[in-house]
Amino acid sequence: MIKLSGLRVAFDSGFKLEVESLKVREGEVLAIIGPNGAGKTTLLNAMGMLNEPSAGTLEIMGRDALAAANKLSLRRAMSAVFSQPYLTNDTVFNNVALPLKLRGLSDGAAVGEVLELFRIAHLKERNAKTLSQGESNRTALARAFVTRPKLLLLDEPFGALDERVKESITRDLRRVIKSSGAAVVLVTQDQEGALTLADTLAVLVNGRIAQQGEPQEIFSRPASREVADFVGVETILPGRVSANNENLCSVEACGRTLMAVSSCQAGDSVFFCLRPEDISVSLSADAGGRRNNFKAKVVSVAPWGLEYKVELDCGFAAQAAVTKQLVDGLSLKPGAEVYASFKAVAAHLIKRNL
Amino acid sequence: MEFILEGFRKALHIILSGNPEVLSIARLSLIVSLAATAGAVLAGVPLGSWIAVKKFPLKKLLIALVNTGMGLPPVVAGLVVMLFLARSGPLGFLSWLYTPKGMIMAQLIIALPIITALSISAMQNVDPKFYNQILALGASDRQAIWVCLKEIRLTVVAAVIAGFGRLVAEVGAVMIVGGNIRYQTRMLTTATVMETQMGNFDMAIAIGLVLLTLGFAVNLALTIIQQNKVLTR
Repeated sequence: MIKLSGLRVAFDSGFKLEVESLKVREGEVLAIIGPNGAGKTTLLNAMGMLNEPSAGTLEIMGRDALAAANKLSLRRAMSAVFSQPYLTNDTVFNNVALPLKLRGLSDGAAVGEVLELFRIAHLKERNAKTLSQGESNRTALARAFVTRPKLLLLDEPFGALDERVKESITRDLRRVIKSSGAAVVLVTQDQEGALTLADTLAVLVNGRIAQQGEPQEIFSRPASREVADFVGVETILPGRVSANNENLCSVEACGRTLMAVSSCQAGDSVFFCLRPEDISVSLSADAGGRRNNFKAKVVSVAPWGLEYKVELDCGFAAQAAVTKQLVDGLSLKPGAEVYASFKAVAAHLIKRNL
Repeated sequence: MEFILEGFRKALHIILSGNPEVLSIARLSLIVSLAATAGAVLAGVPLGSWIAVKKFPLKKLLIALVNTGMGLPPVVAGLVVMLFLARSGPLGFLSWLYTPKGMIMAQLIIALPIITALSISAMQNVDPKFYNQILALGASDRQAIWVCLKEIRLTVVAAVIAGFGRLVAEVGAVMIVGGNIRYQTRMLTTATVMETQMGNFDMAIAIGLVLLTLGFAVNLALTIIQQNKVLTR
């Protein structure tokens, strides 16, 4: 569906996007995630032929998308929803019908159908400028789907929504995407949204793709420190592999020996990575079979969504996610003495170049 | 003081009695200024939008030139058009000098930079992301400009109002190019100048009042178009 290689987009500000290679298959939902200013929107705009790459090739549906002569017809085979709905000062119906009108078509039935799909049929006579955020987002999505695009570009499509509305729209969007078979490229900072919708993820850092693959792979096995940081690995310790015994590595870090399952070799310099939800906190020294168990002192306890984030000093700093019940049950507070344990298989090693 | 009131009394009489000469002057004024405004809108709005949307070298210089054109003195525009239309001038074969066509041409040249410049700034105020969104929905550049123009209709009509206001009040260019010929090229403004100079204050006041009324009527119509579908807070 999309094939790009060696793509470069440069801005006067000095920012450069450089993507060596990226592919989106038919029917695939690819989410591009990454920190602010990483170039996600620039990459998406390049795919939408909305900016001028200075080098590289971009092929969409088998045709050269950088050739001026192909742009209009390719754009008419695809559609886009941006972070703001950008609706016109007209009724919801006419907004949704706009893409058809631009193609010289008029199909009231198709408009009615997408209005139903996104549950906004009752709003069709309303002026789009009087809609709520959620309704505006639904209108923008309906407008994008009315032409049955083969490829859909979504740029933070529900940035400003509250969680409940976001969840309901995401659910509807997922249903429509799955039944339409369209390939989708989704740019987002919302990792949960990305996981709900995406088949594959690409992590963009500083204008380059740092990792691409299945969501589970990226979240549990980040390829670099930057990716680890971004996907919520909170404990990242520089260390050195002292031994590898059938892929069970001993890692010397911060004066302790930690165990991790990895193919790294003895002598490798690594980052020892651990997600907060993989650390168990208890009052007893019994680690329940976990290979890593450390006596720790609670440094701080802070609310973190519905759970608590507990900062621990195990000789190295570690962040653990702990439920409210457990915080109450163990009466965790700064200064408390506990045990922190985690499985070797939960830890992940990233090789680092010194 | 007395002669002013007397002038107004007689002026009202002239208007209410439907003086045929005043009516024909008013009609010509309206036709010339509306035609020139329409021509300037048809050329200036697309031109201004295109300049706003496209990237090209010396764009800023071009915009500066257009902006300067907004202050073009009507007498200079009139002089240039007269020189072009004069029998031995490059456009002499048209025989438009001292005709309404020539006056329309002169007024069009006055209004064009105004409407172009105001269209440029109106279009540049459109969020580039909005423009991109319309492109991404499958619009050609021309279609995207049209969608944007509908969005900024308020400002575009304001540009039309500004252009028409300038033309209907303008006297220098139509005087030079038209020649203020009775029953042929006499406009409300040139007639006002002439009647004032001749001491016919009642006629001058009458024509002045018609001019104001005309300006108001056209602006009212344009404003109704402009304010249609405007959402109130």
